[in-house]
Amino acid sequence: MTTAIVDLYKPVKATLTRVIEESPSIKTFVLKPERNFSFKTGQFIELILEGIGEAPFTPSSSPLVEDELEVTIMKAGFVTEKIHNLNEGAVLGIRGPYGRGYPMNEMYGKEVLILGGGCGFAPIRSLIYNLEAEQDKIEKLTFCYGSKTPKDCIYKGYIDHLRSVKKFEVFRSVDKADASWDETEGVVTCLLDKININIANSVAVVVGPPIMMKFGVQKLLDMGYPENKIFLSMEKNMSCGLGKCGHCMMGKYFVCKDGPVFTYEEIKDQPDIWK
Amino acid sequence: MLSGLLKDYSIFAPIQNGDNVEYDPITPATTGNIIYNHPKPSSPLKTFFLPVRENIFTTSNYKKRIIIGCPACDLAALSILDEIYLNQDYMDPVYSKHRKNTILIGTDCHSINEHCHCTSYGFNPWPEENADIILTEIGENIILKIISEKGQEFKDQHISLIQEANTKDHQIINDLREKTVKKLNEKNTDLPDYTITGELIAQSSENIWKKYSETCVSCGACSAICPTCSCFLFIERPEFEKVRSLDTCQYPGFERVAAGEDPLRPLEKRFRNRYMCKYVWKPQKFHSKACTGCGRCIEACIGKINKNDLFRELKQNLTVEA
Ligand code: SF4
Ligand code: SF4
Ligand code: FES
Repeated sequence: MTTAIVDLYKPVKATLTRVIEESPSIKTFVLKPERNFSFKTGQFIELILEGIGEAPFTPSSSPLVEDELEVTIMKAGFVTEKIHNLNEGAVLGIRGPYGRGYPMNEMYGKEVLILGGGCGFAPIRSLIYNLEAEQDKIEKLTFCYGSKTPKDCIYKGYIDHLRSVKKFEVFRSVDKADASWDETEGVVTCLLDKININIANSVAVVVGPPIMMKFGVQKLLDMGYPENKIFLSMEKNMSCGLGKCGHCMMGKYFVCKDGPVFTYEEIKDQPDIWK
Repeated sequence: MLSGLLKDYSIFAPIQNGDNVEYDPITPATTGNIIYNHPKPSSPLKTFFLPVRENIFTTSNYKKRIIIGCPACDLAALSILDEIYLNQDYMDPVYSKHRKNTILIGTDCHSINEHCHCTSYGFNPWPEENADIILTEIGENIILKIISEKGQEFKDQHISLIQEANTKDHQIINDLREKTVKKLNEKNTDLPDYTITGELIAQSSENIWKKYSETCVSCGACSAICPTCSCFLFIERPEFEKVRSLDTCQYPGFERVAAGEDPLRPLEKRFRNRYMCKYVWKPQKFHSKACTGCGRCIEACIGKINKNDLFRELKQNLTVEA
């Protein structure tokens, strides 16, 4: 892909049209770009606060929609805090999309397993939108999602919708349940004991906090998933998005350009993959 | 001749500045002070292409430039910068413009600095890549060798040849080159080469990095001054403009993600990262070497850390073990 050079670092302006409160610390921001903006699921963008800073996010909306973009953001640092304070009507910048997204081809004809935790649901949602639109091409989708407490579960309405899709199966867990919770209690990997999947004809996607990804991958390997059928979306400190600034280096890879989606096989020998 | 060129070009060349030699802007008054055939100036050549700070949307610093007196190590270092910044998929428009607008006049080194070690990493102390013209001063004479098309064009437009260099001149040039190589080799006899250094670093234990990083204060001078270090950060400005500012993995927080994880938090890991990058990871990704042996990082370190002592010790340890 060759990008017109004048555009390389130039953002597209986007207006914030809606803010959706997902949990006490997570909000979804609906953006309307000044011109159509397309991305492939799993690719990331840089979101720019004029004069303040920028930060990388993977859109949580459908890659099939080009005139609107959703980003789900957890309040975590300086830039995300500022974004959380924004009101509708604010104008932001977006650059991208960057990197290598999910290999949809690898999923066609397969039983897709997605293992997600915490804010990992945000990028996964865009993948699930994509899979829903292409459900004829896959055998089925098994989605296992874990969060800390019932309060931290995001996209509640969307989960209900997914449960109504025939080829989709959803399993959820929380680390610590309360009276309102009637699903599984425990770490997300325990959901893998409940699923029924033909591993020989399956690919797995793992997205979430590093520690969850680490144990998730371990369990999938134990279950018999080959290393090259486990896809991971890596979170690093992406800045330029173009393989130049060096902030996202993970051993021999620029995560921004070579990833952020990798197979476990590709990255297993690189340093600090779970940090 | 140089004074005439000043109309159309900004010219930079090595000038003695107190104890330092720097690539300085040349004026009609200073053309006589240029030092030829000197080892590398204090600051690296890269800063002409990746300035310490630059607004990449408004930068208008595009006057044509001539840089005289670039040693081999500085010129060779541009190769990896080119691989990164002129990458086919995403060519950096600003870097590319700076590169195109600059004529590089390389020079043979007739002397060496204390920490020069180009030959240990397979580079000769005369320009073999990226120069448009090579200049050597022999006695009263300046000998030019035209290398690139750009250099040829420049010569055709601006330089009136006095006479062709003869066999004797070539002989002198070669003798001087050999002398410099000899000096470098004698100085660095026990230094492992680039590839072996990478292997040694990859296999090394944590202790040695702890030991050598004890006096590191994370000032980042080693990277700022390194002709191949190329990392940067963006500073956002009003109107969605961006300032690119050179950055380094030696600063705390370089790899920290929003959620707080920072693989390079421990000082010794951060310190080791710079060498892993140069000798282990970049070689797996790029063709050009990520250290050209200029020795600037050793000279610039206020903690008096000498990477080459470290590498010698790694080699020593290995020999002892074996
Ligand atoms: S390292 Fe080699 S090329 Fe560089 S200044 Fe020293 S002698 Fe010259
Ligand atoms: S690492 Fe040191 S010796 Fe190597 S190119 Fe950089 S400054 Fe020069
Ligand atoms: S984000 Fe700049 S190199 Fe990857």
